[in-house]
Amino acid sequence: MTKEPREIRCKGLGVSEGIVLGQVLRLQHGTPHVYHWKIDDADLETERQRFRAAVGLASRQVLTIKEQAEQRFGKDHAYIFDAHLLLLEDEKLIGDIERHITEQHTNAEWAVKVVGDGLLYLYSQIKDDYLRERGSDIEDVMQRLLVALSGAQPENRSLSEDAVIVAQDLLPSAVAELDLAHARAFATDMGGWTSHTAILARGVGIPAVVGLRDSYRRTKTGDRIIVDSTRNEVILNPSADTLEQYQTESVRRLERRGAADRVERGPVQTADGVEVTLRANVEVPSEFDGVERYGASGVGLYRSEFLLARRGGMVSEAEQCEAYEAIAKVAGSQGAVIRLFDLGGENMREQFQEPEKNPALGLRAIRFVLSNEAVMRTQVRAILLAAASGHLKIVLPMVADVSDVRRAQAIILEEATGLKQAGQSVGAVSVGAMIEVPSAVFMADKIARIVDFFELGTNDLVQYTLAVDRGNDEVADWFRTLHPAVLHSIDQSLKAAARGGIPAIVCGEMASTPAYAVLLIGLGATDLSMTPSAIPRVRRAIAGIDAEQARAIATECLNCESANEVEDLVRERFAKLWPQLFPPASLPAPRQVK
Amino acid sequence: MIERTLLIKTRLGLHARAAARLVRVASGFHSQVKLRRLDGSASADAKSILSVLMLAASRGTELLASAEGSDEKAAIDAIDQLFAEGFGETEPESSI
Repeated sequence: MTKEPREIRCKGLGVSEGIVLGQVLRLQHGTPHVYHWKIDDADLETERQRFRAAVGLASRQVLTIKEQAEQRFGKDHAYIFDAHLLLLEDEKLIGDIERHITEQHTNAEWAVKVVGDGLLYLYSQIKDDYLRERGSDIEDVMQRLLVALSGAQPENRSLSEDAVIVAQDLLPSAVAELDLAHARAFATDMGGWTSHTAILARGVGIPAVVGLRDSYRRTKTGDRIIVDSTRNEVILNPSADTLEQYQTESVRRLERRGAADRVERGPVQTADGVEVTLRANVEVPSEFDGVERYGASGVGLYRSEFLLARRGGMVSEAEQCEAYEAIAKVAGSQGAVIRLFDLGGENMREQFQEPEKNPALGLRAIRFVLSNEAVMRTQVRAILLAAASGHLKIVLPMVADVSDVRRAQAIILEEATGLKQAGQSVGAVSVGAMIEVPSAVFMADKIARIVDFFELGTNDLVQYTLAVDRGNDEVADWFRTLHPAVLHSIDQSLKAAARGGIPAIVCGEMASTPAYAVLLIGLGATDLSMTPSAIPRVRRAIAGIDAEQARAIATECLNCESANEVEDLVRERFAKLWPQLFPPASLPAPRQVK
Repeated sequence: MIERTLLIKTRLGLHARAAARLVRVASGFHSQVKLRRLDGSASADAKSILSVLMLAASRGTELLASAEGSDEKAAIDAIDQLFAEGFGETEPESSI
């Protein structure tokens, strides 16, 4: 009897969304073994010529790749190969290698390796993440030179169908040479959010999980593999059970997609009659259709900073007003909540100021707009004017306490008064506070007294409560949405809103995951905002559960001592109470014991 | 010789693609074109991509560009314009 290979789960960082079941295609990477031998004086010129021939061959290859990449990914992605070409033409680089051959009487391969390693070491010392990751370009060129020197042709990478590319690392040219029509997913041991693989995968919409540490050596080409970026993991040799779970899940997804044709609208009721409002988070105009298509009750969160990202600069009052009128129209009678520019950190801050050492804790969101009053006043005027013809609300991002709120409210009031005095018609706009940093959670009771509503941003709340950067794969294990500290923060904020008699919308990714949405309802949430396509599946989950039972589970979770304990509890209770709604694959995955 | 102080404004700094543009532009002139970090930690020959990459110039870095030769004025203007235009880049996707 042959033994079934054991299922292995590897945690990484999902950098491009999607779930794929496929077969592994391993891509060899890593410097080929390079040997050192001595070159006699008489043969030095021959060795240098051999090296120059390899440089010529490598350049011709890169030129071909560049032309192909231009056709397939557009000029922006192809430009990287211009950098590779320039490296191969670089007098300093090529000169250094030739000098090494001559002075050390060494073979060309060895000279390439020594000079290349030296450069890579210097590059690894660079402090800026993005620039440091670009060391992969130098590595890419060095490898190409070594292959050219060996006389071997670059591997032919024609792919069979449904190949999942598994590699230690994917160098830019390796990705460009792949036939992406057949690449279903990427799984790499190295890399982070800004690695070239991640950027490209997002660009072409191929699911990818990176930073898997040692999945490469555990695989063979042809093995079955599941790449699940929504759970930040890959599953090697999935067991029959796992496969069945995933297949059920995908059938469900298809059913749900079909069900979306007969879309339900308005609030959803739990089986025991608690009414829950489902709103849409939107950013780009392509998502606007989804508000109607998926039956959202208006827009719970409009990320206005998109306006700046698109135009690459400040946007005039008139242009903004037009954009807000459009969003109000899409949202209809339920209205749209416009978040003031949440700039800073990863967004486009450089037009306004110098980079900061620690942008996540720096001048961003409400702090940024309060320090750039002209920017804020323009935006506020545009919203007030747009509100004359539609239902709009303003939410203040990242407030720490009532002083941020009061300053913002004063400016909004001044602008409203100014516009009215100038004879313009403005709409009534209520003002809410984003609760997404621990200080706001602690001060929630005081804030609730002076705002019209709360909006809980769970992504930032997790990040700031646990002090974990979600983009950093080194700490991915510490990013735990179901951490008891996060649940307590949500619980306290919702209770403060209830005591203050104001509504609270929970936005953020938590609300778009059915099991987590149910937990939010257990914590007392009755108003969720999520990515539009998630609304039907969340609606279905909520309709099938009792809020009373969800409350009991939530209360138990609040008493847990760790995220692991919460996840175990959720898995166990949900599977028992609602097995038809929550197959195991829809629940938090069991942690791998390391 | 002409000198001018330039600021890296692009989000991702002087990375490989931006460096490639810079080198292509600088190489189009006869003059010697040099870049030096204002903090004095590194300097580069603007016609060598390796040398430019090793400046490790991230967003916000100030560089002193200098050109010396028959077409130094045109060279420095071209480099200046490239910096001002953000190396002709479109911004990558905004984050969530």
